[in-house]
Amino acid sequence: MSESNYTKEKKVGEGTYAVVYLGKQLSSGDSIAVKEIKTSEFKDGLDMSAIREVKYLQELNHPNVINLIDIFMAYDNLNLVLEFLPTDLEVVIKDKNILFTPADIKSWMLMTLRGVYHVHRNFILHRDLKPNNLLISPDGLIKVADFGLARAVPGPREMLTSNVVTRWYRAPELLFGAKHYTYAVDVWSIGVIFAELMLRIPYLPGQDDMNQMEVTFRALGTPTDKQWPEVSSFPGYNKLQIYPSPSRDELRKRFIAATESALTLMENMLMMNPQTRWNTIQCLESEYFKELPAPSDPADINIFSQKV
Amino acid sequence: MSTQTISGSLDEYDDNKDMCPICKTDRYLSPDLKFLVNPECYHKICENCVDRIFSLGPAQCPYKGCDKILRKNKFKTQVFDDVGVEKEVDIRKRVFNVFNKTIDDFNGNLDDFNKYLEDVEDIVYNLDHGVDVEKTEERLRTYEELNKQLILNNIERSKKDIENFSQRQQFEKEMKLKKKLLERQIEEEDRFNKEWAKKEIVNRLMSSSGNDTTDVIEGVKNTVKLKKSSARRKLEELNRVLKDNPYFAANNMGQNNRIKSSIPYTPFNGDRDLHQRFEVDETKYNDPLVQELEKRKDYIASGFRTDFIYERVLTEAFMGLGCVISEERA
Repeated sequence: MSESNYTKEKKVGEGTYAVVYLGKQLSSGDSIAVKEIKTSEFKDGLDMSAIREVKYLQELNHPNVINLIDIFMAYDNLNLVLEFLPTDLEVVIKDKNILFTPADIKSWMLMTLRGVYHVHRNFILHRDLKPNNLLISPDGLIKVADFGLARAVPGPREMLTSNVVTRWYRAPELLFGAKHYTYAVDVWSIGVIFAELMLRIPYLPGQDDMNQMEVTFRALGTPTDKQWPEVSSFPGYNKLQIYPSPSRDELRKRFIAATESALTLMENMLMMNPQTRWNTIQCLESEYFKELPAPSDPADINIFSQKV
Repeated sequence: MSTQTISGSLDEYDDNKDMCPICKTDRYLSPDLKFLVNPECYHKICENCVDRIFSLGPAQCPYKGCDKILRKNKFKTQVFDDVGVEKEVDIRKRVFNVFNKTIDDFNGNLDDFNKYLEDVEDIVYNLDHGVDVEKTEERLRTYEELNKQLILNNIERSKKDIENFSQRQQFEKEMKLKKKLLERQIEEEDRFNKEWAKKEIVNRLMSSSGNDTTDVIEGVKNTVKLKKSSARRKLEELNRVLKDNPYFAANNMGQNNRIKSSIPYTPFNGDRDLHQRFEVDETKYNDPLVQELEKRKDYIASGFRTDFIYERVLTEAFMGLGCVISEERA
């Protein structure tokens, strides 16, 4: 727990509340990342997301969740020592020089679902899953990261804020302003990421919160009380354009390369009604992961663009 | 200073890629100018000059200081800009036509095969750089004499490989075409069926006034479903054929063997605790505070479930049992 055991060598990124440095653990020589939390004099105390990150990462230890190695204070700043992860899924999806196969996608989905399954079984909601937060280790493992919006599953009478999750990956119950949502919001995000991996462009890119509803329902159908009981009781459920749910054939045409069981998995992750949406266990047990091609070995997936 | 510039530009003029150094014909004036080289000396000469100089039989290369005797039938178009590259490629072509063993000829022994490749590389290098040319040529000739049968066999085999490949491509192309055709057929039938169903529903509704409309609609829809066409069946058949395509099977064999991992796949990678320490009997368990929530509209719509609540509370209650803190610390 001391500062002297780590070096900060290079600044690699800066967010609203933290600066990230690349460094080394002196005792082992391993590469690490140091996240220095900015303390501003105008705020009282530490940023909420820093506290959340520390609180939940301390609890979690899984190959597919980012590892919090250490915490130390230096010059009145809080520093989190995290494992070093060179890239993330967003970079991989956007880099057109990187080719990946259906087996690679399956491997990534498998690792993501295992990580989120572990988060959920520890009664934690991640609430900000997106390609940008799925980091990739040097040996190709997916690591669920950024627990700045995470929280423990609330007691039955507690209210939650529906203003979570990056817009494109926001589940319909959040768009409607639900206050008692469940793990299902994370599964929806993974479903959208799955679609994005197959299309290599964002699947539901809404321009603002209203437009997000429009885009989501145009792609997946407007929910009705029949398939989602009491959905019309949401304050946000009014003046909606009614779109029909897409047929299997329409989905097949949108996702040309997807197999039937891949589409089944995606449909069930992108189920409008959170009650019937699959949980991570059902997803992991789906036919998609059993059929050929088998998921690639993470170490074999090429995640860095090859400059020729 | 000025002379230097002039001579420099003159050199450049001489180097001009678009001018024949023998007859000074320029591409600017005769656009269909073509250059040929002879593998004896690789000097660049335009087609016209080749015709003019070598039509009457072998003659000396017209380049100043080059005493090679060239024949017309050996002239060829230059593929690579760099003459050095062109020369090496020609030598390689010639050597590999003789030294055409593959790793299979060594029964998969990689060391022997690498040694053989090294030898071949030596020969290429020697010929390319003019080291011991005569000795090397001799080596090439003796090898050719000794291994005539093997060389012919290998040529035959590579021919077969190429044939096999083109056959496979042909097969795939045909299958793709068939598939597209069937898909289009299915699409058309679907459209036709839809139209037909629409008309049929209207017709039946007109004739059977007062009856239950949903029954009629369902009835028509069912007939449409039963009509699922023969084209669809054919497509499934085709997909099956494609799946165990003989060409693919032969091709993928090597890959499949490689991928086989020692650990069998399981969805949770062995990391799942199926042993729950509790059971909830909802019929006997009366929890009015939580059960009341289950009926509230905003809870139902949000996906709220009482079993989530019970699971968390009970797991947290029992999680610490059997854990001794002093042991965990150590």
